[in-house]
Amino acid sequence: MSEKMFTRLFRLYPSRFRKQYGDEALQLIRDRLRDETGFFKRARLGWDLVADVFTGLPQAYRNSYAVTESEPASSNSDRIPSFRILDKEPLGRGSILIGGTLSLGTIAAFGFLLSRPIAYVPLSGSNGRMSPIESVMERLNRATTPVDATVGGGDQVAKSTAVGASEPHPPSIPTPAKTTANAEVPLLPDESKNGIDEPVSSASHDRHPVKLQGDVIAPVAEHTSLDATERHRVIAEAMANLRQHYFDREVAQQTAVVLLAHERNGDDDAANNGVAFANLLTRQMRDASNDRHLVMEYSRDVLPERPPGLAAEDLARYRKAMEQQNCMFRKIEILPYNIGYLKLDSFPDTSVCQSTATAAMAALNHTAAIIFDLRDNSGGFPGMVTLIAGYLFDHPEYMYGPRGAPTEESWTRSPVPGNALANKPAYVLTSASTWSGAEQFSYDLKMLKRATLVGETTRGGAHAGTFHRLDDHFGIGIPEERAINPFGKADWEGVGVEPDVKVRAADALEMAVKLARASVTTKRAATTP
Amino acid sequence: MPKRKLDPLPAAAFQIMLALSAGELHGYAIMRGVEEQTGGRLRLGPGTLYGSIQALLEGRLIEEVDRPGDAEERRRYYRLTAVGRKRARSEAEKMADLLRVARARKILRGDYV
Repeated sequence: MSEKMFTRLFRLYPSRFRKQYGDEALQLIRDRLRDETGFFKRARLGWDLVADVFTGLPQAYRNSYAVTESEPASSNSDRIPSFRILDKEPLGRGSILIGGTLSLGTIAAFGFLLSRPIAYVPLSGSNGRMSPIESVMERLNRATTPVDATVGGGDQVAKSTAVGASEPHPPSIPTPAKTTANAEVPLLPDESKNGIDEPVSSASHDRHPVKLQGDVIAPVAEHTSLDATERHRVIAEAMANLRQHYFDREVAQQTAVVLLAHERNGDDDAANNGVAFANLLTRQMRDASNDRHLVMEYSRDVLPERPPGLAAEDLARYRKAMEQQNCMFRKIEILPYNIGYLKLDSFPDTSVCQSTATAAMAALNHTAAIIFDLRDNSGGFPGMVTLIAGYLFDHPEYMYGPRGAPTEESWTRSPVPGNALANKPAYVLTSASTWSGAEQFSYDLKMLKRATLVGETTRGGAHAGTFHRLDDHFGIGIPEERAINPFGKADWEGVGVEPDVKVRAADALEMAVKLARASVTTKRAATTP
Repeated sequence: MPKRKLDPLPAAAFQIMLALSAGELHGYAIMRGVEEQTGGRLRLGPGTLYGSIQALLEGRLIEEVDRPGDAEERRRYYRLTAVGRKRARSEAEKMADLLRVARARKILRGDYV
């Protein structure tokens, strides 16, 4: 048995070694087999042979076998190039087997290492718990419950992907939809005015968790029971701000009067907590002005006093967060039938993410149809909306935004050089949590009949207003410019954008792929009859 | 590269040289000799044995001896060369130095060495 085993093992040795010592080695085994009998000794012999492979093989391969063998034929003295054959016989099966096994093992080990999840390194957030994005999301999700304010970053991601659905509401709020709109106002990415200052400043304000706790808890107690003087102060501030900032003086005056009248009539007396009062004022202002973009917000946390503006530090933090998140470009794929698929969870600032966006669009440039998945998109910067929409047109197109008069950014920079998507079918996937800038993208493409919207009615946040701080807890969103909707209808504020094809958000991709496939194949059939 | 194979001298090679210092031996006898001189601790397998022998041959520390044997059992015999003997001695001296140091540092228990 040992002899057979040895001859097998011996095949692993270099051929010259085998030729030279094969007989001798076999003789040695035979000698040992002859001398060593009994179970223990035989077992020891077997073990020796196996162990020997590990020590002997490297040695055998290191040897050159040059001295003992005849010198290699002619040395290269006559300058004739010649090849020297290193090994005279092909590799043995054993060598191939061992080599193959080792390689496979190495590859498998490497693959295993790669597939292992990289230890989650929390993005260093402002308060050490949350990334800037998460803290922004946290701020959005934080309606009024004190519990929610202290919830860690852990479930924030989940929340941020389904903001609409999982929005926490205290039971006392009569109109939850408006609360969500309220909460969002400070996030208006209106670069010229409050820009990204709000989200980040809310983050910076989380920077001192201990202090935050104090800020949160004390005022909550104070604000859960709003008294008449407090309410009056807020109303007075709101009126002043309306008169000062609202684009239509007459409407502003009229709204202010209505607010005051309501107060005098005692309509506000029942609203004894901040959220309820803010919702009530929002309703009153909207009724009086017929402007859905007016909004009153209540924040449990003290609103930052800092005048709006972009602090370099905030911008750097935003930039870093975006880099870590690949600018929220979650998936770029080419599906079967050459259908491009882009999942985008925000419309980030072009000053930070333009290159990522152009690269993403370039990657999908040669697809036959394109699907934009905005089901988890919570909005962002109008510049990015325009930038991405630009790929869908071959001429500059006006992208209506509710924020005010058209700016240079309102027109797409079409045609985009080298772009091949301008005439390709486009689909936008929406959900009930598609929001703000993402709704603008959906709305404009729908109105321009450039894309088919598939999914659910969006959440309905147009965020036209600029945010003004009234006191530590109340703020008001006031549109400062009249925005003219070229489509002649009210925009999506409060009502959302209706999809062309209504399906559950979860089924939207499947449906869009089906539609895209149909359009791609019919087109193909038409062009190649 | 080939020069460095025996520098430092591997334990197996040194044991083979020590075994051969007693005289000309064939492979199996070398293996037995090594086993004996190490008190059974080191049993050289064929791969290690002939690999080391080949290395020692290439380093010219040992050489093959022509010895007319039986026709059916032709074994190769090896012996130390002069260079090999010198090398074995210097190796042993190196070890003796080590041993002295070890003894001075009281690493060895007792004084039987």
